[in-house]
Amino acid sequence: MVKKAHLITGKGGVGKSLFAAALAQHLSTQSSSKKAAVLLTELSEHSFYRDFLKQPNISYIPKPWKQGVDLAQWSPDDCLKEYALHLLKIESLYRLFIENPVTKSLIQIAPGLQDLAVVGKLTSSPRRHGPVMNYDEIVVDSYATGHFLSMLRAPSSLQEAVPFGPMGEQTKSINECIRNPGFTQIHLVCLPEELPVTESIELYNQLKNEFGITANFYLNKMSLLNVSDLSGLSAEAIMSLQNLLESEAWSREKLKSAGINFIELPLVTLPHADEIISTIARHLDEPGKVL
Amino acid sequence: MMDLKPETKTVICIGSGGVGKTTLAASLAAGWARDGKKVLVLTIDPSLRLTQTLGVTPDGDIHEVHLPEGSKGKLFSCVINHQKTFDWFIRSAAQDANVQLLLENRLYQQLSGKLSGSQEFTSLISLYRYVNSGDYDLVVLDTPPSQHTWNFLKAPEKISMLFNEGVASWFRQSDEAPNFFKKIINLSTTQVLKALEMLTGSQFMKELSSFFRAVQRWEGPLEAYVSNCHRLLISPTTEFILVTALDSSRLNEAQKLSREISKQGYHLTCVVINRVPVWAQHETSAKDLSPRVQDLKNYYKSLADNLKSGLEQFKKGLRIYKCFEQQQKAEDMTGLLLNYDHIVTIMYTN
Repeated sequence: MVKKAHLITGKGGVGKSLFAAALAQHLSTQSSSKKAAVLLTELSEHSFYRDFLKQPNISYIPKPWKQGVDLAQWSPDDCLKEYALHLLKIESLYRLFIENPVTKSLIQIAPGLQDLAVVGKLTSSPRRHGPVMNYDEIVVDSYATGHFLSMLRAPSSLQEAVPFGPMGEQTKSINECIRNPGFTQIHLVCLPEELPVTESIELYNQLKNEFGITANFYLNKMSLLNVSDLSGLSAEAIMSLQNLLESEAWSREKLKSAGINFIELPLVTLPHADEIISTIARHLDEPGKVL
Repeated sequence: MMDLKPETKTVICIGSGGVGKTTLAASLAAGWARDGKKVLVLTIDPSLRLTQTLGVTPDGDIHEVHLPEGSKGKLFSCVINHQKTFDWFIRSAAQDANVQLLLENRLYQQLSGKLSGSQEFTSLISLYRYVNSGDYDLVVLDTPPSQHTWNFLKAPEKISMLFNEGVASWFRQSDEAPNFFKKIINLSTTQVLKALEMLTGSQFMKELSSFFRAVQRWEGPLEAYVSNCHRLLISPTTEFILVTALDSSRLNEAQKLSREISKQGYHLTCVVINRVPVWAQHETSAKDLSPRVQDLKNYYKSLADNLKSGLEQFKKGLRIYKCFEQQQKAEDMTGLLLNYDHIVTIMYTN
């Protein structure tokens, strides 16, 4: 049974997908079991892992990626299909249901339903609803800031609109599950730059106040430079790197004064995806920097 | 600086997140305004980025932005307020007292407000509204990261689906027979509705049918509006500008996006490689760099070296620009204009 769901979010372009892969790798090495204990799944419509990890067969059905980690891509449509089939049982009725214009346009125009389907799938194992999932933990390379919040809010929003009936029951149990800090872990990835930091602090506080969840905060792509490293460089280089250092110092200070604990991750300068992921995973393994 | 076709009225900036798209959109708008055009820049990102950059408030109103002395044009900015825009759209399309019915429908409220659904659509409505107003020489739109670009471009199609042959009619209520379920004679339709009810409950079905009934009243005006929006997107006076960065995953994503949007008939004309760190190219002054500086230098340099092969993957006929990395606090007006002036052509493929 799935005991924990790790949701990765942050502003666009901060390195969520690579971090998610590294976290999955890190978690799998913590597990003693031999079978795949971790499922890494991405929600983006156009797969990032297909190209970046060279996994041309990535799909809704999990496939082995590396020791202890399976890889999948969840589209809202797939999640909804699985759920509908599970409830309706009868194949022909299900096909009629899924492949008719009313359902199709309904799903298309109300993305709240799509978000609900994804969160429903995510929480299906502890709710004992739907097909069995044989993983201990799921790592979700999730949406960027704004969409992420709407996704988490989808169950409670729809519960407000439709409080009773089967859908009301479902949204209620999904909502309870997603707000359980023992189950849902949120990892907020951020760059040491002014706007991402400001926006991420805002999200951190929203998650805390609205969902009672304290996110793990990461400052990603840190330069690991010191002021002393800059001596002897050209004026141009000094200006560029000094800006970088100032921005990093500003970010640390800003987070400290907001009372947020954070973990620093380095900018990995290696060329291959596997090397980058392993390097970040090693940083997550290090004692004193445990999650 | 960047050249547009003289007839261009609309510029849409697209690209993956974290490449400085918003700042670039603001820089372009500021530059074109300084050089003589009357420009409006719209952002659809729910974050407060442009707000912080241009010092406006996210109230959905249009604000004039102060330009330096000697500027030849004018700059206006607006952070789109989705709820306000959607309501404005519904009211202006309806011209009918029954608008209240829809505004009170809880599914509508979910659709337009709390959920992420209609934001792409409302940006499109705003874009159409302001381009069509004729008040500006140029309207510049900053879009959310590329994942959402698809949602944005598909917005007209999605709304059209509401009026798909038959869909609305399934939920249509005739005045003589209040129970619309009774009107349905087709067996398979009944089965589908039963399945829907089994999955969602009868209350949801009630909301759904009243939503479709309310929406159906403006089938005509809505559909006309939607097709006008689509026409605006594919118009030759609309230019798409793709913003990307040096690293390979973003370049890759940009290439995919550029092929796809050109295939769909949109006019992608420019690609901007943003935030190019210029120092790494020719840093030779120090003999013994610290290992980490050496490391970073090699990293940035290899990215720049790989750029050429990366650029060849873009489709022919695009103007490709490079914009150098700016000082950190470059988000005031001086910084924006400096940014604009530092955009250089690196390739003009044919």
